[in-house]
Amino acid sequence: MGRRIRTALAVASAAAVSGCGLGAGSGTSNVSVTVTRGFGAAQLGAASEARVPGSETVMRMLERSFKVQTRYGGGFVESIAGQAGSSPHLDWFYYVNGVQAPQGAASTAVHGGDRIWWDLHDWSATASVPAVVGSFPEPFVHGVGGRRLPTVLECGSDVALACKRVSGELARTGVPVSTQEFGVGSGNQTLTVLVGTWSTLHGTIVSQLVQAGPSASGVYARFTGGGRGLALLDPKGQVARTLGAGAGLVAATDDRNAGPTWLITGTDPDGVAAAAAALQAARLRDHFALAVEGGGDLPVPVQAGQ
Amino acid sequence: MSYRKRASPLHAARAGAAWSYCLALGFAALILDNPVALGALTAALLLAAAGARVWRELRRALVLAAPLALMIAFVNALVTRDGLTVIVRLGDLPVLGHTDITLEATAYGGVLGLRALALILCGGLYTLAVDPDEVLRLFRRVSFHSALTATLATRMVPVLLRDSKRLGEAQRCRPGTPPSRAALMRAATAGVLDRALDVAAALEVRGYGAARRPPRARAPWSRHDLAFAACAVTIAVLAVVIRFGALAPFHAYPALALELRPGGAAAIAALLACALAPFADRRGIQA
Repeated sequence: MGRRIRTALAVASAAAVSGCGLGAGSGTSNVSVTVTRGFGAAQLGAASEARVPGSETVMRMLERSFKVQTRYGGGFVESIAGQAGSSPHLDWFYYVNGVQAPQGAASTAVHGGDRIWWDLHDWSATASVPAVVGSFPEPFVHGVGGRRLPTVLECGSDVALACKRVSGELARTGVPVSTQEFGVGSGNQTLTVLVGTWSTLHGTIVSQLVQAGPSASGVYARFTGGGRGLALLDPKGQVARTLGAGAGLVAATDDRNAGPTWLITGTDPDGVAAAAAALQAARLRDHFALAVEGGGDLPVPVQAGQ
Repeated sequence: MSYRKRASPLHAARAGAAWSYCLALGFAALILDNPVALGALTAALLLAAAGARVWRELRRALVLAAPLALMIAFVNALVTRDGLTVIVRLGDLPVLGHTDITLEATAYGGVLGLRALALILCGGLYTLAVDPDEVLRLFRRVSFHSALTATLATRMVPVLLRDSKRLGEAQRCRPGTPPSRAALMRAATAGVLDRALDVAAALEVRGYGAARRPPRARAPWSRHDLAFAACAVTIAVLAVVIRFGALAPFHAYPALALELRPGGAAAIAALLACALAPFADRRGIQA
């Protein structure tokens, strides 16, 4: 009898350790969901939950707040609030704390403080946008996958003021920042913020990804003329507008080796300063990336009519 | 499980009426999703089988169908990601990935299982209570070849069962270990295929391919014909009213919503009564 009890206890312990159990388990708190379309151009709804039940997934969180139609046994979102993809290249994508999740929404667990963002957009230029800036101050505050990551700030020598401003803004949101030289590298379990003119960033892996276009970086912008011009792309990946001197860009990407990396860059130090000044939750909200010129904000990718 | 003439109102009714009655019950099973309505329909099928004096045979189908219904419910609960109320956390499983069993997926799996059970019982009732030759006569004016094919296929199932039973008995008479089910099935299937070839050859020789549309056979409608035909129409209408008239709304996802309004309860009771009413009149039934 004792042997049977020991075996039963061992099985129960193994089940508990592997995440099995009866009921939903312990819950979490302060999770928000935002639903937009057109790369954040139009908000369809937003909801926040102060208290979230245990075993909550991104899909359940969405279904709790919006009318959702799913396919494939609840693994794929067909429509949210009656909005469905009306063309072959229009689908729903989601980001948790500004980072594209590597798995389906039904398998992605929700953690305390998470900001979930669903967007219905045209993916003809790229089906993968690995990171976006619209959930700032996430992922710096609550991290990725429920784990807060260290933030490393790498600044160019000619943008000291912009670097200070970025550091100050991150510190204001409660994010401790360590500063290091350009190109030192910080491992794959960090959040990196690169601040510098494009000519300074040129040569880094991230800059090469951005120059390779949205299909490589998920950023709908690239620099031209050796960094003197900033070409903004439309959702199809075509150049819609080109900015010149004083233009800045706040964007995020992920090279899969270094973790999410934010770029605060520009055509010149003035552009970088303008981009650094745009590092505010209110200005970045619901944007995949943000270009700035002459004090005006230009959400990227550029929508028709902008 | 095959048709045999019995002393019951359903057997006494013409094939068209009996076929319509079974079809209406099957239609109701397909469109109803409220578990109370589906449960009532399943009960109606079982009581109808008793009324048609085929309960004993249908019970065998029930014994076979019940595990299938349970399996459908289990698989749906395991693979469906919908539903908000987690009742069991299974963690990360091979192939399935992160798996949580929700109350909603379990309930909807139960509904699917119940629907499968009702459909199997409906098919069983049809097989036991509707004369396939009469069905052939009924449909040969519409499509002779299709009707013939359907009837032959229906007849092949009991032939296959009888063959396998005979083969099993014959092999048990021989010394040594008894034959496996697979060996029996292989032998029976081969026999059926041979028989199918013989049937095809006989049909060809007798010129069935050149058959013309036969004349309409007119026979007066009996009270049982009228009762089952009227009930078939009423059952179909009631099922549509219950399903689309918002009388008994049921939504499994994202959260369970089950409601039975007074009108819905009355409609379900009417459906149950309508399915059983023709069996009350046993006048003209010879025991």
